[in-house]
Amino acid sequence: MAGLRVWLMDPNPTSRRQARLGQFWLGWLRLRRNPLAVSGLVIVGLLLVVAAFAPVIAPHDPLAQDLSRRLLPPGTPGNLLGTDDFGRDILSRIITGSRITLYIVGLVAVTAPFLGLLIGTVSGYFGGWTDAVLMRITDIFLAFPRLILALALVAVLGPGIENAVLAIALTAWPPYARVARAETLTVRNSDYIAAVRLQGAGVPRIILGHVVPTCLPSVIIRVTLDMAGVILIAAGLGFLGLGVQPPLPEWGLMISSGRKYLFEQWWVSTMPGLAIFIVSLGFNLLGDGLRDVLDPKSAPK
Amino acid sequence: MSLIEVENLTVTFRANGRVVRAVEGVSLSVTAKESYGLVGESGSGKSTILRAICGLAPVSGGAIRIGGKTIPTPRGRAFARQVQMVFQDPYASLHPRHTIDRTLSEPLAIHGIGDSDARVMGALDDVGLPRNFRFRYPHQLSGGQRQRVAIARALMLEPGILLLDEPTSALDASVQAEVLNLLNRLRDERGLTFLMVSHDLAVIDHMCDRVLVMQNGRAVEELSREDLSGARMKTAYARSLFDASADRMLGDLEGTPA
Repeated sequence: MAGLRVWLMDPNPTSRRQARLGQFWLGWLRLRRNPLAVSGLVIVGLLLVVAAFAPVIAPHDPLAQDLSRRLLPPGTPGNLLGTDDFGRDILSRIITGSRITLYIVGLVAVTAPFLGLLIGTVSGYFGGWTDAVLMRITDIFLAFPRLILALALVAVLGPGIENAVLAIALTAWPPYARVARAETLTVRNSDYIAAVRLQGAGVPRIILGHVVPTCLPSVIIRVTLDMAGVILIAAGLGFLGLGVQPPLPEWGLMISSGRKYLFEQWWVSTMPGLAIFIVSLGFNLLGDGLRDVLDPKSAPK
Repeated sequence: MSLIEVENLTVTFRANGRVVRAVEGVSLSVTAKESYGLVGESGSGKSTILRAICGLAPVSGGAIRIGGKTIPTPRGRAFARQVQMVFQDPYASLHPRHTIDRTLSEPLAIHGIGDSDARVMGALDDVGLPRNFRFRYPHQLSGGQRQRVAIARALMLEPGILLLDEPTSALDASVQAEVLNLLNRLRDERGLTFLMVSHDLAVIDHMCDRVLVMQNGRAVEELSREDLSGARMKTAYARSLFDASADRMLGDLEGTPA
């Protein structure tokens, strides 16, 4: 272990692999110094663990109804967070629902920034009419409120988890495109881009190898900050009955089903609400921490 | 026969309806293994000539020939293996998020040249940088070290012609001499042809066999090294440039080792 650390911290790495792993290690050390970022990482890590082992951790079947035990308050023996209107265990439903949340968040986090980066960098790099066309399309998408556009898309595509993801991804990319374009404009006339062009590099290599890396940190930070919003939109679609369909335990859907009992049996809505809150907070804190880590200039010399 | 021929080159920029003539009808020719200087004040169009040769500025008139052949537009890979450029500001010409290794191996990857490990190490040796700098980022190097990396990058494709756009103006005096001596050494070793821009006649005097004095986008006067050291200028403008840097030309640049 100590040998590995020395190998990673070696200021004069001997191979490309060692240099790259060393950079990761330095990034991790920087992240570790920031207590808020670590707490964000812990929350996101917990979400991953809970989602991975959901069937093992959950004390009850999340779909098993027991009308004789409906709307029990939190702290009831056997039902730590109480039960909902069909007598299902809320804790088990939250634990199982973490999988759906993670699935949505993961798919959106992969697709939307990719699309946004591509459109933003291409638009910024080429300029001229390419830029005009792509940015007007971006403007059109930005002009719609996100939830309304997602609603419209789901209404066309039909309700369901995949369509909800697609709708969220299609509404989430414009801000990334904007960020990427702005960064691209600042670097596209720089000498280092001129140098690589002069070396005979093609446009794909310049954009993917030289422009995207400069945009990536700000986009990644935006992604983690947006994850909270994605969870909320997914919850919103679930709440409106356009996302995940019952009886699947999606958190937004659970809040929605509890709204009839909001005053007398507050826990039915509150518990999944707290889960959304904690996970959103976790992603936000992690995003703040990544801001420091992803800038190589803040590396110790 | 001359290696680089620039004939009646005109470069005009259009910005907000205004037309700026950066270079007007400049002709020059550089023979192989010669070091040719372009000198003039800021905005005289000397850097624009280099950028026009590289395809980074629009050629609106005249012709540029390398080895007797008109250069293609866009410049393409064959051109990249013939001509490379070292930029003025070493703080802006290296990608801030790429390691030195990545910067130096990129041209090899573009041209599908193998054995990049050994070539990168060799390039570092050639420009006098320690091999353990290989995985550092540009912000971890000093200005002079960065410019050495930029020179190494320009030489990765083993071009015959090096365009130098004020390669030392962003560096302080002692580092300036080191970099100039490094360039001279590399030119001797590899038989390179230099086309070098500077606003400093002292640098040009140290580096170049012939020099073209430019003012306001036009060529004023061509001088050989003998003309320069003998202060035999015909035009008043070249004379005033010479007077401005005469005291430093007498100072010894050669004393510092590369």
